[in-house]
Amino acid sequence: MLLSVDDIYVHYGRVPAVRGVSIGVSEGEIVCVVGPNGAGKSTTLLTISGVLRPSQGAITFDGQSIGGLTPEAVARRGISQVPEGRHVFTTLSVEENLRLGTRMRRDRGEIESDFKRVLELFPVLAERRRGAAGKLSGGEQQMLVIGRALLTNPRIMTIDEPSLGLAPNLVDRVYEVLLELRESRGLTLLIVEQSSERALKAADRIYVLRSGEIQLEGDAAELQDGEKVRQAYFGFTEGVDHAGEAAF
Amino acid sequence: MEVVVQTIISSLSLGSFYALGALGIGLLFGVLRLINFAHGDFITVGGFSLIVPATAVVAVPLILDFHPVALIICVVGVVVVWALASYFMLFRHIQTAPPAVLMIASVALSFSIQNLIIMIYSGRPKAVGLWAELTGVIPLSDKVQVPILQLVIVAVTWILLILLTLFLRRTPIGVEMRAAAEDFRMARMLGVNATRVIALAFVISGALAGIMALMYHTQTGILNFRGGVFLMLYAFIATVIGGMGSLIGAVVGGYVVGIFSTVLIAILPEGMRGFRDAFVFGLVVVILLARPQGLVPTRAFKERV
Repeated sequence: MLLSVDDIYVHYGRVPAVRGVSIGVSEGEIVCVVGPNGAGKSTTLLTISGVLRPSQGAITFDGQSIGGLTPEAVARRGISQVPEGRHVFTTLSVEENLRLGTRMRRDRGEIESDFKRVLELFPVLAERRRGAAGKLSGGEQQMLVIGRALLTNPRIMTIDEPSLGLAPNLVDRVYEVLLELRESRGLTLLIVEQSSERALKAADRIYVLRSGEIQLEGDAAELQDGEKVRQAYFGFTEGVDHAGEAAF
Repeated sequence: MEVVVQTIISSLSLGSFYALGALGIGLLFGVLRLINFAHGDFITVGGFSLIVPATAVVAVPLILDFHPVALIICVVGVVVVWALASYFMLFRHIQTAPPAVLMIASVALSFSIQNLIIMIYSGRPKAVGLWAELTGVIPLSDKVQVPILQLVIVAVTWILLILLTLFLRRTPIGVEMRAAAEDFRMARMLGVNATRVIALAFVISGALAGIMALMYHTQTGILNFRGGVFLMLYAFIATVIGGMGSLIGAVVGGYVVGIFSTVLIAILPEGMRGFRDAFVFGLVVVILLARPQGLVPTRAFKERV
């Protein structure tokens, strides 16, 4: 396992948001965590990246414990997070945003070629290079944060809701790019999504998270028909389902 | 005519001064959401560092007798050390607390510094003759005379503004600082070292306070343990008018306050000049009613780490 989250509990004050969640991601894998709003998906990612502290449980990356490290220390280990809501620095130029991603790198020689590659991957960013990042459209901003995360040269990238607020064709484009990156650079991905359909198509493995607990995990290929995922996602047992129908 | 020219120069000089103070406050607010009420006391500390610490009535020069270059470096250095110490000994330990907690801590720090000064130097004001040659005037014509110090203040301010702008725009660490001011959590997720960025903001803020200490005490010639408090108050309302967290706003706000209060002195009838502050703060109320976000709004009040 490249990244393993082992039985973590996270609280907001006294309210538990995540209860005993375990997630493993192997090198080169695409893992999707799906679940409804408020399931604890973002909390889990923020805990991995050091923004939140688990009250219990361990997080290890490449064999070393990263629980309790600061966000910058986690980033320096090679975990790049694209948090929910895009988070471009609106007052900075597109190029300044991208270059921020390269600040912690030591391999100066490769930065320029990586920078060029990201601009080739997202030509719109090359066009708007000097413009303020706040002027970009939602889809362009999503490209920018992914490009910026790539420029940190991560070993694993975690993405929170890459499709949130994007038109369907842009969502396709984002996933196209992510799959491409896995092919070309062997990028490992941990993606969080609300829509399980999209995740099922892209992922190697899936976790369904609801009410702060993992309800189901398995190979995406085996869960392809989607019925089990739906059940885990909504929490309906057969009986409750019928009871629901009877009420109509 | 001469009144107009002199009012313009005075208001630019005063505005520059407030702008520098507002920048010192705005920088820290940007990265830490700290409204630093001790900023004025950093200016006071810079002034007192000129003399030998003693309660005697007559001040004995210390740094004051140094060569001007050494004098500037030492005063700025002393204030920077105070600013850094306040970060590492106080604010660093509460930096995840709500902004109100940080602000209250800074008020406590402010009073502590003032009382420390009273303990060491006594509470009596002391005369200090700093750069008396700068207090002269340049005659522009028979009637119009320009105080040299006012020109120096404007020039120094603009040099500092340009340097600060270049730093924030052209250097990687400056870009990190702007990024951190906008979205600190995201900046940290990209590996930006929070401690380094905040400490650097304290260094710059302290250096600005140190330079203000030099200009202020050259102007007044008096060391007072509360010397910086009113400066801080005006600089603070300048930041509020300009828009908390916007550095351009801080400069704009500084000039608005400086120009407005100087013009008031020029146009108010004799008997009302004593109430100038009421008018200045009235302006603050009016501006905030019309534009609660300040003249140059930012996203500064968004939640952070």
